[in-house]
Amino acid sequence: MGAYRHFPIFMITLPILGAVLLPFLGYLRQKWVPWAAALPLTASTVLGILLIGKIPSDGYLSYHMGNWEPPWGIEVRVDYMGLFLMLIVCGITLLAMVFSRRYIAKEVSGGRLTAYYVLFLLMSGAMLGFVATGDIFNLFVFMEILALSSYALVAITGNRNAVRAAFKYLLMGAPSSIMVLLAIGFLYSATGSLNMADLAGRISESGYTEVLIVSYILFVIGFGVKAALFPLHMWLPDAHSIAPSPISALLSGLLVEVSAFAIIRITLSVFTSGADNLIGGTLDAVGIFAAAAVLYGGIMAIMQKDLKMMIAYSTVSHIGYIFLGITALTAEGLTGAMYHMLDHGLAKACLFLCAGSFIYVKGYRRIDDLKGAWRQMPWTCFAFALASLSVIGIPPTAGFISKWYLILGNIEAGNYLYVVILLAGSILAAVYCFRIIYCMFFQTGKEGAWEDSAHDASISMLSPVWVLSAGTLFFGVFSYLLIPSLLKAAQYLL
Amino acid sequence: MRLLHNYQYVAAMLLFCIGLYTIIVRRNIIKKLIGLNIMETAVFFFYISLGYLDGGIAPIRVGGADPSRMVNPIPQALILTGIVVAVSVTALALALVILLYRQYGTLDVDRLFRDEEKEPESGTERGGTA
Repeated sequence: MGAYRHFPIFMITLPILGAVLLPFLGYLRQKWVPWAAALPLTASTVLGILLIGKIPSDGYLSYHMGNWEPPWGIEVRVDYMGLFLMLIVCGITLLAMVFSRRYIAKEVSGGRLTAYYVLFLLMSGAMLGFVATGDIFNLFVFMEILALSSYALVAITGNRNAVRAAFKYLLMGAPSSIMVLLAIGFLYSATGSLNMADLAGRISESGYTEVLIVSYILFVIGFGVKAALFPLHMWLPDAHSIAPSPISALLSGLLVEVSAFAIIRITLSVFTSGADNLIGGTLDAVGIFAAAAVLYGGIMAIMQKDLKMMIAYSTVSHIGYIFLGITALTAEGLTGAMYHMLDHGLAKACLFLCAGSFIYVKGYRRIDDLKGAWRQMPWTCFAFALASLSVIGIPPTAGFISKWYLILGNIEAGNYLYVVILLAGSILAAVYCFRIIYCMFFQTGKEGAWEDSAHDASISMLSPVWVLSAGTLFFGVFSYLLIPSLLKAAQYLL
Repeated sequence: MRLLHNYQYVAAMLLFCIGLYTIIVRRNIIKKLIGLNIMETAVFFFYISLGYLDGGIAPIRVGGADPSRMVNPIPQALILTGIVVAVSVTALALALVILLYRQYGTLDVDRLFRDEEKEPESGTERGGTA
């Protein structure tokens, strides 16, 4: 055992520690805050990259907090999929942070600027902890840190729509957190344990079938609100479209995905796929809702006039994809769901940051205003187009790979209806994405909408957009680097 | 009979439902927050009653105390964390309520969300007082 086994806990604590220290720096030297805030995230990313290859795809890295053995102590357990998602979280938060420096200075100022970075770090640290923890109560605590910082970040501008969207988000989010807490209570009362690995053994022996079923349903509802699964998605379009763009990128690219990952953890690590009598019925219902989400999100996205609103509804649709991969309960489906988290994270973050660039340069939010944007902001528009291709799932991009595996997984599970819905979702995605691309590249804008002085945002805003956009292409072409290990990890989990 | 025997769980669930009902049905946002707190209290009550033992003693092993008579301290420790979380959520929610009231002049959800559709998009403008 080398020093690397301490890395996961440092990945989690460094951003949180940074968040604690940052207000002091903000008080003394406000100018340094954006640079200082990037430090802990960079450190986490480096530690995460150093961990690559240290975790076998059919094993895990367990870290006992304070050297207390689980199931008594708190365990941090990083398996292959956990590390995969932690790296996505690190990468996207770091890029969004780079993008933030110029963007957010235009929207908030003074003490709120420091608050923005504090909450940002808190949110990224909480997401990492949420993915890595092996203790179910810790999962709740990290979820609450994550939720509280995201409510505050949606409202950070103090603008009336933003406050209202944040309140709407809170009104749905807070009861869902309480439901998760109640679910943990039921689980604890039926088994007497809080460690996930320990719970997995005890659930099969526990006789309290009804309690466990109710507990699982409450977990799915609780995390379903956070993940914006179809009938519980009402908060998402408002919050995602009104939040500052880097925050939209985090909410849409990461928050909904780590919540979906929490459902994977609860389903496969705690209840395990062997407990079919406990989770089978609920998973069937989730599958139906997820299928509805794919169609509903796609249709609503087509109807939107506001660019960020459209991207937000597209997220509703893509969450359906991820859940259809989970409910298939096959290795291919799970691999598809995990890979979809990667490509959806990259593509959605890229789309929201592009939308942010348009807002930053011209203040344009409506799709109609983007007509002819290509002439003045070619780099942003090309990045947007590339990410859109991944959202649709056109072959060389990562979106194609993940949809391929999602469909394969559902064929394997015999859910042919879902296969049709997944394909239909792609067609809807093509409709709403090509509409924007058509607007940008092939239509001429109104007289005076784009004067000659307007051009691409500065390099510090353009480079994150291009890294994300190139990422969708890279992970599409070089998918063989990850897919075999993910398949093995999925088989290990099932 | 089992239901009567575990009457404290029934009470907790009733309280939970009252809270949920208040959040869903009441139009005043302060009342919604009160409902939220009732829900939280119900869950805390549920946890504490899990660890309760009739005539139990504090879980401290001094002077050969009998472990079988000790109350379970874990739910209490968990709920201490839960209370902290609940206080933070309430504080943030009340801060948002103050901002909402300053900018809309109402606490009624129907009036708050009524003009949502036709509101012009104003993402970059910075308004309000903090």
